[in-house]
Amino acid sequence: MSSTRMLRRIGLIAPVAALAAIAAITASAATGASKATVVRIWTDADRKVAVEKVAGAWAASRGVEVEVVQKEFGKIRDDLKTVQPETAPDVIVGAHDWTGQLAADGSVLPLVVSKATLKAFPGYSTNAFSYGTAVKRLYGVPVALENIGLVVNKRLATVPKTFKQLETSALKFQKKAAGNIGIAVPQGAAGDAYHMYPFFSGLCGYIFGNNKAGNLDPSDIGVANVKFLRNAKLIDGWNKSGLINSKVDYGVGKDAFLKGNAAFWITGPWESDTLKKSGLKYTITSFPEIVPGCKSVPFLGVQGFMVTKFSTVHGTESAAKDLVAGYLTRSDSQQALAAANGRFPANTDAGKLVKDPVLKLFGKASVGGVPMPNIPQMSSVWSELGGAWVKSTKGAGATPARASFVSASRNIANKIG
Amino acid sequence: MTTVPTAPPSDYAPSLLARTIAAFSGGTGRAAKLVGLALVNALAFWAIAELLTQSRGLWALITLAALLALDAVYFLPGLVPAKFILPGTIFLIAYLVIPIFFTVITAFQVYSTGHVLTKDEAISAVQTQSLQPTGVSFLMSPARTADGTLVLLLLDEETGKGAVGDGDGLRPLPDGTLETDANGVVQSTSADYTLVPASELFSLDTQLARYVVPTEDGAAIRPEGVQTAVELKPTLSYDERTDTFTNIETGTVFTDNGKGSYAAADGTELEPGWREFIGWTNIGAVFSDPLVRGPFLRTLAWTIVFAVSSVFFSFAIGLFLAIALDKPGMRFRRLYRSLLVIPYAIPGFLMLLVWAGLLNDDFGVINKLLPGGLDRPWLFDPFWAKVSVIMVTTWLTVPYFMLVSMGALQSIPSELTEAARVDGAGRLQIFRKVTLPLLMIVVAPLLIASFAFNFNNFNNIYLLTAGGPAAEDQSVAGATDILISYTYKLAFQAGKGQDYGLASAVSIFVFLIVASISALAFWRTKALEGVR
Repeated sequence: MSSTRMLRRIGLIAPVAALAAIAAITASAATGASKATVVRIWTDADRKVAVEKVAGAWAASRGVEVEVVQKEFGKIRDDLKTVQPETAPDVIVGAHDWTGQLAADGSVLPLVVSKATLKAFPGYSTNAFSYGTAVKRLYGVPVALENIGLVVNKRLATVPKTFKQLETSALKFQKKAAGNIGIAVPQGAAGDAYHMYPFFSGLCGYIFGNNKAGNLDPSDIGVANVKFLRNAKLIDGWNKSGLINSKVDYGVGKDAFLKGNAAFWITGPWESDTLKKSGLKYTITSFPEIVPGCKSVPFLGVQGFMVTKFSTVHGTESAAKDLVAGYLTRSDSQQALAAANGRFPANTDAGKLVKDPVLKLFGKASVGGVPMPNIPQMSSVWSELGGAWVKSTKGAGATPARASFVSASRNIANKIG
Repeated sequence: MTTVPTAPPSDYAPSLLARTIAAFSGGTGRAAKLVGLALVNALAFWAIAELLTQSRGLWALITLAALLALDAVYFLPGLVPAKFILPGTIFLIAYLVIPIFFTVITAFQVYSTGHVLTKDEAISAVQTQSLQPTGVSFLMSPARTADGTLVLLLLDEETGKGAVGDGDGLRPLPDGTLETDANGVVQSTSADYTLVPASELFSLDTQLARYVVPTEDGAAIRPEGVQTAVELKPTLSYDERTDTFTNIETGTVFTDNGKGSYAAADGTELEPGWREFIGWTNIGAVFSDPLVRGPFLRTLAWTIVFAVSSVFFSFAIGLFLAIALDKPGMRFRRLYRSLLVIPYAIPGFLMLLVWAGLLNDDFGVINKLLPGGLDRPWLFDPFWAKVSVIMVTTWLTVPYFMLVSMGALQSIPSELTEAARVDGAGRLQIFRKVTLPLLMIVVAPLLIASFAFNFNNFNNIYLLTAGGPAAEDQSVAGATDILISYTYKLAFQAGKGQDYGLASAVSIFVFLIVASISALAFWRTKALEGVR
């Protein structure tokens, strides 16, 4: 290559390099610029506006900034594992049953809430956010409560006081016309242990027992406990009569209730609007006792806010804790946040102010309910327990309940290892 | 540099495309190339600077290497052919090689719920999580003494006694020194302490987060937020020298068990653990752990049945329709074609959900339409669920093979079939001996691609049956789960949450199986080309 061509080439490269250098300088200048404390919050779409408002008010009073990032609710937990520290949140909205996994991962920080504040919350709601195999700590602040209830179409059936009444009127209604459903409780091929829990607990089933320290004990699996197995024959009876049919999935059950093809529907406050707009004459009630000595209760879900490990790296730990443990626990914050996605607020003072009749009824149906277990081992329970119900309530060819729950229990134990 | 070999004939009218290309050769072209390269360089340098500020040296280095390679290829003479390969190669590495590399790495690690941190992070997380609140809490205001030392002004929430805390411990203050104002913020009446102004409070975050006021029995008061502090007592002590945790009360010693946890002699593990290389454990589990191996083999067998039969039926029916519609002079041929392409034109996600509804055993339309006795448990019986999955996948894929076959049939010269007919071959014979072999040359690679696609057809399984119904064996894999949906369930619905390590190990096997079957099939296809 001749020297002139070489020179020409260098002449070509020079502007390229210059532009590149400018880009590099701008980039480094831009990253070093912001110094203000910014608390990044991941929230779901429903709550975004309320979070912006509540956290914004806090930020203004504190002289800091908040950045609210919208995420799909279920993705918040999984994305927290893979997110890069630079874009990671300091605070997240979460469900209480994530607590065990997130704490075991070390993704969230333990919190301490003052005794005065704690008094404003039902004990189970803060307990639901507590986890620890050795030392039990609080990892989240409850904001909203949710649970399922028994929705009754009052034109088609009377509100049952006993399970016998529920069974009789459901079956009577079911026989009236082809396509009628006894109790519209969603299952589908994949199963739904959450919606089936009132029946499960009503037959004396439990998921994990408690150890001496009062923590959930993953080695004490109650999916096929002696009492439950004694009552398992009832399930076979329900299958035979068609009272419960696993082929009813969420869509089928909802559709049937709204069209008057089911007198009873098991659902939660996420269907409040649907119910209000349905034009049906309905009420929501708690589940009647099935077997003496065992309560038929729903699972309780608690949603709340947690502080992530990233806040320590970001230098926003004290700000994040101030927001979550100090500000979001306040009655007015709770009211705004719970109302944003149509749930009952966890703070009892805020709870007293709830006027929505549907929410109030669901609140009543929650009495005695059990928070979903929040330990990581719960992930092996959902599909197995749901699967056992599906197998035993699929009509003709169903597995006897005793066998399917025994095998589910064994599978859960094997998976937990 | 570029010379036109011969002058074009006078009546040569270059097309728009040719003229556009010509416009970019010579000076304009070189300028365009320069601007493009400058932009690429600028972008890369910006990325490198960004990566360096985030202290990701390795990635910065990789980006730099890629950039240098690009620049070398475009600036140095003699490397022109590389221009065509390099950009593709860079993207191949970025989107294929690197993910595979990380999958392989992950397969050799314990990377699951409770094992996501690094070891150092885990040690500090164990320390934080094992602090036990003693129940004593304070209202707090950070303040500075006359010489500027940061101290905590603490007002006991229960007793109302004031105190000042620093690294040496807690010193009580005379009553009345500390008061709360209307907002509940602790204020000092003593001139010895100046409150840290609210505007500075949050810039002290790192200092506050590490601030410890030691009290009795190893307990300490730590700030919680900016207005409260709590007393916490450690329950575990970490010894850096021996790399062990000791339970302060019971004396139980927890040592690094080599599997990403501190564990006691009885096997009790401390949470959280960390990500750790554990060698062949995950890969070995696929062979030795009956809970993984059993469902793996069953799922593998079903995956092959699913992929092969879906491709076979789609191709067979697609080809049949193509031949049927190939008949010239047929009425409404276009209409038939359009109708048959519908399943291909509507998004698969939507159709799968619709099918799940249609196939519902008791409430679905299909069983309602079928005369009594012919209704089947389409989704709730392991066998019929498998039939449903194949049926729906076939329904979704038929139009594709119909279109492909139509095109391929056009390309078969009619002389060949005519010659065969003259030679006295029957219709079926012509199809088998002439049409099909010629067709296969075109279609075979597509069949292999379709097989590989269906082998990993997560959507169809997950949206139609979610892998259900539950199989009788003890595993996460349902009756219709294929390997990839089984892997997904392993990763996200494992015994204790998620298990990415095991899922990666299984996905390596999936990759090896698909790759070897495809390689074998392509090798066979080459033999097919000999027909020509």
